[in-house]
Amino acid sequence: MKPTETTAPNGGFDASALVELRPEQQLGKTALLLAAVCVAAWISNMVNGAPLHLALPGMLILYAMVMIGLVIGRFVPFYLPSVAWVSLVSIVVTLPAFPGSGWIVGQLSHVDFLAVVTPVLAYAGLALTGREFTMFRQTGWKLVIVSLLVFTGTFVASAVIANLLL
Amino acid sequence: MDMKLLLDWRLHLTVILASLLAEWIGILRIPLGPGTLLLLPLFYAFLVGVLLNPHLFMSMQRIIPKPVSNAAGPLIMISVLPFIAKFGSTIGPAIEQLVAAGPALILQELGNLGTMLLALPFAVLVLRMGREAIGATYSIAREPNIAVISDKYGLRSPEGIGIMGVYVVGTMFGTLYFALMAGYLASLDLLDIRALAMACGVGSGSMVAACSGALAEAAPHLRDELLAFSGASNLLTYATGLYVSLFIALPAAEWLYKRLGGAMFEEIRHETH
Repeated sequence: MKPTETTAPNGGFDASALVELRPEQQLGKTALLLAAVCVAAWISNMVNGAPLHLALPGMLILYAMVMIGLVIGRFVPFYLPSVAWVSLVSIVVTLPAFPGSGWIVGQLSHVDFLAVVTPVLAYAGLALTGREFTMFRQTGWKLVIVSLLVFTGTFVASAVIANLLL
Repeated sequence: MDMKLLLDWRLHLTVILASLLAEWIGILRIPLGPGTLLLLPLFYAFLVGVLLNPHLFMSMQRIIPKPVSNAAGPLIMISVLPFIAKFGSTIGPAIEQLVAAGPALILQELGNLGTMLLALPFAVLVLRMGREAIGATYSIAREPNIAVISDKYGLRSPEGIGIMGVYVVGTMFGTLYFALMAGYLASLDLLDIRALAMACGVGSGSMVAACSGALAEAAPHLRDELLAFSGASNLLTYATGLYVSLFIALPAAEWLYKRLGGAMFEEIRHETH
């Protein structure tokens, strides 16, 4: 990485900002923040998921899975995104052959799938900065069109291939 | 970033209230042409977040000061992790069905290359974009793809600006767009809904969430199977995405760019400036 990129004066698209976003690099800090966002998800789950006391074990399981995944991601000698590790931990402990997987899956069923994502988007809406809005005023419209084509192209191509092979 | 800001109670309380409101409104179905648009609680949560954003509306600084709003950025990545864990837990119990669908799951990863077939010619021929087009269209612009571009060209290069543009658009609107597109395509009933679920996996965490969530709402009886398929596909994307984009997609984008005469437009532009 070139040093000029990590010291971008306007705090633009610099690589250091992305590195800072990697939660496995600062486990202690992440453990606290994760607790805060889990509380948000836990409360948001009340409406369409389950009451707080029923969903508590499930939320704690999710918290533990994330932390285990991050710890693995921090200490393995090669790089995979932390989301991949978290996902792997969660898959392994819910495999039918894993001891206690039935209980784990049962507890997790009280946590609604979409309710966990709702707070994520609330954070996203609050996180937008002047930078993003400025970018759109300048070359934005072209990139917006291209982006939507990128998403559509990838999605449709993947779906067509999968459809042919299923 | 300062922990005091990251743990600011106003930020988290606002998020909780926005989420509760969004969940309470619930899922809305809007008929559109031959299909149906699904509006999920996560849309409203995003909208409430934007409306309360102090960078957009000055008066909101009384509720959320700007530094607190900036702290919400790193929290997006962290708040998506519990969801990823919930996602993984749909894969484990469905492992047998997934193994049976194995070849389809693995080969649909090549759909990532479909990105440039549509978007790259449009960017070069219609929008007359330069090398930004390569960065913007060689992949779906998630974190592993950015790492590849940053390594090869640097993020301040035209390619870097291209990919960061798509990254930002993806972060802002990708989630909403994926959910709308998936729900709509599902209602058209042209493709196997399990194939759509696999295609959901090409995105980043929140895109996959919204996308498969929309599908699960469109076909509630297949809910668990659909979530398992998109989760498995997303895991494969993360495992293979870096390598596919580095060794196949990027060289292909370079080749196609030259074929489309992208270099020629670049020269014309340099002369006219």
